[in-house]
Amino acid sequence: MRGMSQRKRFVRLLVAALAICLPQLAVAASEGQKQQAERQLTQPLNNAPVWRDVRAGEGNPYQTTQVRGIETNVLIQSEGEIWREIRNGPVTVYGGLFVLIIASIIGLFHWLRGPIKLRERPTGRWVKRFTDWERLVHWSTAISFLVLAVSGLVILFGKYIVLPVFGGSVFGYAVFSWLAAISKNLHNFVGPLFIVCASAMFVTYVKDNLWRSYDFRWLGNSGGMLWGEHVPSGKFNAGEKVWFWFGLFLLSIVLAVTGLILDFPNFGQGRATMQLVNVVHAIAAVIYMGVAMGHIYMGTVGVEGTYDSMRISGGDGSVDETWAKEHHEYWYKEVIASRGREAAPTGAAAQPQH
Amino acid sequence: MARMKFLADAERCIECNGCVTACKQEHDIPWGVNRRRVVTLNDGMPGEKSISVACMHCSDAPCMAVCPVDVFYKTSEGIVLHDKDLCIGCGYCFYACPFGAPQFPQDGAFGLRGKMDKCTFCAGGPEPDFSEAEFRKYGRNRIAEGKLPACAEMCSTKALLGGDGDVIADIYRSRAITRGRGSEVWGWGTAYGRPEKKPAAQPPGAKS
Ligand code: HEM
Ligand code: SF4
Ligand code: SF4
Repeated sequence: MRGMSQRKRFVRLLVAALAICLPQLAVAASEGQKQQAERQLTQPLNNAPVWRDVRAGEGNPYQTTQVRGIETNVLIQSEGEIWREIRNGPVTVYGGLFVLIIASIIGLFHWLRGPIKLRERPTGRWVKRFTDWERLVHWSTAISFLVLAVSGLVILFGKYIVLPVFGGSVFGYAVFSWLAAISKNLHNFVGPLFIVCASAMFVTYVKDNLWRSYDFRWLGNSGGMLWGEHVPSGKFNAGEKVWFWFGLFLLSIVLAVTGLILDFPNFGQGRATMQLVNVVHAIAAVIYMGVAMGHIYMGTVGVEGTYDSMRISGGDGSVDETWAKEHHEYWYKEVIASRGREAAPTGAAAQPQH
Repeated sequence: MARMKFLADAERCIECNGCVTACKQEHDIPWGVNRRRVVTLNDGMPGEKSISVACMHCSDAPCMAVCPVDVFYKTSEGIVLHDKDLCIGCGYCFYACPFGAPQFPQDGAFGLRGKMDKCTFCAGGPEPDFSEAEFRKYGRNRIAEGKLPACAEMCSTKALLGGDGDVIADIYRSRAITRGRGSEVWGWGTAYGRPEKKPAAQPPGAKS
């Protein structure tokens, strides 16, 4: 055993010498070597410490290569396989299912419950709901969102949904690659634009989306959506406020941060960062798309008269007074009061619909 | 049909980077793109080892699985190739690959990486063999010429072997069982004396 221990002592001495010269780095770097030397004494041929080194390497000055680039001195990264399992597995499968299920729920709701109609007849008197600026900001955000959503879907699901349509022909591959390239580039350039639009949206709409005590009551009754009772709300109801804070605020921040990291690999971030960020981005995106479908449904065919408020052509952002009274009663009263008029009595609107 | 493989013998590699140079030369590869690289572990310390690494032409290739446009295909000899015309440069193959094999010609701001480039096992791409387009995109098609990859052929110590997996495995096996002579004779063991006791018996079934 003498020879071995001498050799070990030499390695230790060398390690100590290096540790003194290069304090932190050397300790970290030589740790694997030391562990390997010790492992060979207790378990010959068990090379686990070497394999740990092989998978690490970043920041290790004793693991080198002549090739410059991202993590070029890392010999093997096994996290890529984990990322593949997660992205091609749950993210694709459950993400796809999630989008389909939300779409089905909306479809089912529309079929069973039908659009929420006005209970009283429209008055023909209009109240201004959104200014030109508010509508411009909304549509800039909405359109850039839709571009991101569609192009993102092509990147995530296109291989499984669009590509098979062409039956794997050479022509089909060419067409799909063209679609994917457009999607990817649109996504990567519209992404930063979306961040600008969403920020403007936040600043413009935040004051009407602050949480009020009456919003709890609205939420408790699910806005009267299911049983039809009337629940008053401010300019935005609690559902819209949840969409604002959870969607526009929280999910946008998550997507913006992860999106920018993905969009600018030129800062040299490593693969582990990209893998993590990609999964977070994809999950947040799928949730965002799901909630957005609900929002789009309610804003268009789901609730009669709502779309008027956001019209770009054929409207100036005004809604009928009946709509205002039935859907945003507190706001309606404020607006009418500011005009120095008596608000019309709530009347039939207070009664359940059915 | 042969299953093509690379095998890097860390006991032999002297980190000369001949394989890296051979590859760049053979395929006329632009600056910044390196289909092969040599990684040295414990550089400058006892037990230093170098290994040449490039695309290992995986059986269940992660790059192939994550590519959103399905650009990869596998030849009957197990070589993983890709169609640059279809590549959108998303970088996913690089995130997934265990060996950092996929390379990109551009730095990637706004995700603009250019077309992915990686080791082809010197087997070109989907274009007709020896065509100008094939050379421009993928480099020389030595396999179609009946030759083996340039890196392995150029390796001065034959640390890097490339070819039919059965054949190179046999070569490596014969090396492994005759090891313990050669350089080890005048290595650390000689300078500092041999262990007095024999090292613990090899566990049954252990690989050499
Ligand atoms: C707001 C809505 C957004 C949605 C719905 C969305 C959706 C998606 C989806 C589904 C993917 C594909 C993920 C995968 O295949 O694993 C993706 C990838 C990506 N997203 Fe987004 N995203 C959004 C916002 C953003 C923003 C704001 C940015 C950047 C500033 C961004 C940058 C990226 C990048 C760089 C990728 C990688 C795609 C590639 O380079 O090919 N995304 N996004
Ligand atoms: S590029 Fe990487 S993942 Fe793909 S076959 Fe080559 S070594 Fe395997
Ligand atoms: S960079 Fe090209 S080859 Fe790599 S995953 Fe993206 S599209 Fe596929």
